[in-house]
Amino acid sequence: MVFNIYDFTGLTEWIHEGLSRSLSPGLTLVVEWALIGAGLLTLVALLGLVLIYLERKVSAVIQQRMGPMRVGPWGMTQTVADVLKLLLKEPLMTRNADKFLFNLAPFIVMTASFLALGALPFALGLHIMDLNIGILYITAITSLGVIGILLGGWASNNKFSLIGAIRSGAQIISYELSVSLAILSIVVLTGSLQISEIINTQQNGWWLFKGHIPALIAFVIFLIAGIAELNRGPFDLPEAESELTAGFHTEYSGFKFAFFFLAEFINMFILAGVGAILFLGGWLPLHFGIDNSFNHVMDFIPPIFWFFGKIFALILLMMWFKWTFPRLRIDQLLKLEWKYLLPLNLLNILLMAFIAMQGWYF
Amino acid sequence: MSWDQLLFMRHEIILIILMLVMIIANLLTKDENKEKLIHLASILFFANLIAGFLPARYGSAFGSMFVANQSGIMMKNILNIATFIVILQSGEWLKKEIENKPRIADFFILILASLIGMFFMISSGHFLMLFIGLELATIPVAALAAFEQGKRKSAEAGVKLILLSTFSAAIMLFGLGMIYGSTGSMYFNEVLTNFNGSALGMLGFVFFFSGLAFKISIVPFHLWTADVYEGAPVNVTSYLSVVSKAAALYILMVVFYTVFINISASWTEILYIVSILTMTLGNLFAIRQKNIKRFMAFSSIAQAGFILLGIIGGAGMGMTVVMYFILIYVFSNLAVFGIATSVYRHSGKEKIRDLDGFYQTNPRLSLIMMLALFSLAGIPPVAGFFGKFFLFTAAASKGYFWLVLIAVLNATIYLYYYLMVVKAMFINQSDEAIDTIQSDFPMRLSLALCAIALIAIGFIGPLYEWINNVATAF
Amino acid sequence: MEQIITYILLALMLIFSVMTVTSGRILRSAVYLLTVLVATAAIYFIMQYQFLAAVQITLYAGGIVVLIIFSILLTHHIEHRMENPVFWKAMISALAALGAVAMIAWVLKDAQSIQNVAGFIPPKMEDIGMALLSYGKQGYVLPFEVISVLLLAAMIGAIAVAKPALLQFKNKNFKQDDQ
Repeated sequence: MVFNIYDFTGLTEWIHEGLSRSLSPGLTLVVEWALIGAGLLTLVALLGLVLIYLERKVSAVIQQRMGPMRVGPWGMTQTVADVLKLLLKEPLMTRNADKFLFNLAPFIVMTASFLALGALPFALGLHIMDLNIGILYITAITSLGVIGILLGGWASNNKFSLIGAIRSGAQIISYELSVSLAILSIVVLTGSLQISEIINTQQNGWWLFKGHIPALIAFVIFLIAGIAELNRGPFDLPEAESELTAGFHTEYSGFKFAFFFLAEFINMFILAGVGAILFLGGWLPLHFGIDNSFNHVMDFIPPIFWFFGKIFALILLMMWFKWTFPRLRIDQLLKLEWKYLLPLNLLNILLMAFIAMQGWYF
Repeated sequence: MSWDQLLFMRHEIILIILMLVMIIANLLTKDENKEKLIHLASILFFANLIAGFLPARYGSAFGSMFVANQSGIMMKNILNIATFIVILQSGEWLKKEIENKPRIADFFILILASLIGMFFMISSGHFLMLFIGLELATIPVAALAAFEQGKRKSAEAGVKLILLSTFSAAIMLFGLGMIYGSTGSMYFNEVLTNFNGSALGMLGFVFFFSGLAFKISIVPFHLWTADVYEGAPVNVTSYLSVVSKAAALYILMVVFYTVFINISASWTEILYIVSILTMTLGNLFAIRQKNIKRFMAFSSIAQAGFILLGIIGGAGMGMTVVMYFILIYVFSNLAVFGIATSVYRHSGKEKIRDLDGFYQTNPRLSLIMMLALFSLAGIPPVAGFFGKFFLFTAAASKGYFWLVLIAVLNATIYLYYYLMVVKAMFINQSDEAIDTIQSDFPMRLSLALCAIALIAIGFIGPLYEWINNVATAF
Repeated sequence: MEQIITYILLALMLIFSVMTVTSGRILRSAVYLLTVLVATAAIYFIMQYQFLAAVQITLYAGGIVVLIIFSILLTHHIEHRMENPVFWKAMISALAALGAVAMIAWVLKDAQSIQNVAGFIPPKMEDIGMALLSYGKQGYVLPFEVISVLLLAAMIGAIAVAKPALLQFKNKNFKQDDQ
């Protein structure tokens, strides 16, 4: 049996061998790329549908509403209807807008998200590219997204968009530091940037548990800074509706707006994925102690479910934040990063390095 | 590597500590008391200057990425002296201009940072260190050039300096990349052995030389000099024209003598042409200048041309002569700039014509100015004469008589224009002569130092011998 | 396959670098520059220098281009166009650029030894980390630290240029002189 839910290595090898038997190496590569692309597209489309629905329902629960209820059972096909509506809308553009950049911006944002998605391991063997520098690659690629936001805001020729874009740029650049440093403090423990290695080091326990207090601090900082980097509430100043109508994507409509919107959710997924890989063991099941029945029960659940389960747990956490905390002011936002998170983070890395040197982790 | 290898880096480490002390002191003082930081900086820097003369240890650290040798340390001491004089001269300006007040400490921090860069550059044994040192020496100075916020010219000077230095740094880096490509290493000693004069390496060398020539403002790359010198605050201009230039010249010489000695025939030709161009063009443009800062800019270009003459003189003699000349050049230029500073501070004038009748009102200042200008021009009793004399000897000893002839012709040209300034001060009469200037103590101290040095250096024979001993041991 | 992609990338770089220089709208130039930088990173990826590629993306694409775009956002209006250069100036610049290209190409033609010197071993992450922090031969801890001084100094310089004068002094006799 080629297909094994616990280990996808067999499946991918089977596909590769099957293809290279009948095709030339170059063509095999092309077909594989197409397959991967199709897979990613499906994943992104599904994620968009699910996450948007989830967001609306979670916010409804928190605000004691029902949320979307009309389209389909419990409103489950509401997002499908929304997407259809967006596709049918007229693509608008302001006068004197820089057409080329205006149209380019959503694609830059989306491309950055897609490229980052390629480095996530969904399960054992289900990993598009396991780079030597995996985690560094993800941080590098995700930092490209902000360019799309800046361009979109500027090219719209609208002051709200411009202010939103500048705010967003300042915010993302600042909080990127904290995210990277939080990631770095786990890399101190793993000693490798390769994602499969990072996951392997957690066979006997997740870093969140093994790394003592510094890991915990790093996790909290990672979540806060990560949410800020996503421009999500309570850090959603770039698109603060009450001040800027919709921030950098005020002038976007139809499909391009959908791109921005979708990219935001995909980025949330990626952030949760990175958090799951670094702190929660990626696709590894939850284990306590060595070789007991609890562990066997956990092993029974396939890795892919573990990974998505962890990601969705983190995503729910983020949604919970968004709908409970009030929005920060811009000075509070920058103060939080530069005066609190960054120094704390640097100290935390020192502490982590000390712990790693002494071998005080498990 | 052991801890005591860090002692080779004593000069740099002391400066870094000084810089950090200044940063912390800046945080701890209130805005009203910032003036006290001037005294703190002067005293601390004086301590650093003294510490620089303590017996040093020589050797290489960090896998010969950092090399401390006798001549390098002497050069660092010369730069220390020059910077000390600049710091003494700038106190008055910092105190007086109201918009400088909150940024007094920044001035010293930036000066120190750029000095750190020069020190690392002087001691580098690896092109990467050289490059980083050069950048560290330049970028803070660009910020200093734009220091006067109310003035558009100052901002322009800052922008010009930063853009052109970035450009030159890029050219230099490109050249270094080619050198690395052809030799496979960036360590000086390995480049020396692997450099085979291939086309790639030679092109890299040319690019490297152009990048460095920007910093020294040698002629085809000198166009930024006058504007930057004019726009920047006077003290920054003096720092730029003395300290930066001296450091870059020294490292150019060291790299030529140690790393590229195998192709000395090629670089001698390049220097031959470039030094003639630099001397002549610098001189011709200097004659036309009305503004004293622009005048000094072009005259310092011409002086750089003369220094190149010394480099042509070859390792042994050339090194000594160049360092001797740099020592004299430091004092002469700083004296001129010191007087230009006080004149500008007290009257806001910076034209040469404004110096008419200066002798009547300020006899002592004009005497010092005369001394410094004589030294720059190379008139016998003052130190400058010996410096120039030795430069000519160095070039002549290698048989470049035509070059020496052109240099002597140039020397007469600038004898003319230096004397024009002296004439303005002593002979021209003016109803609007500048009032008697009351300088503060540090400024007077700095000018006195310069004056004593200018007379003394020429007459202390052993000094040349000593420099000769030191300089040949690099 | 790799070769084809490399050539496509190289062509892209060439086209976009020319467009960077010739575009009349400064923000578009920045975007073209971004393409060039990302294509460079892609070439590093193909050459298996993954760390270098990631650094290229983080520093240049994610850092410097973002800063450039940011400053354009703060200073330029959307309808602003850069002046077209005078024809003969443009021609001279083009000639100079072509001359430089020709010269470098001519020099590189003979320099086959580059590959042998550099060798082709994709470096391991650990080695890069050790090289950056070791203090022996081929160790780069000293430049690493000096760069930190450089960045600190640059930051202080930027602050010194931008820091406003004290408010109480600003109102009285803040002289605005342009000679």
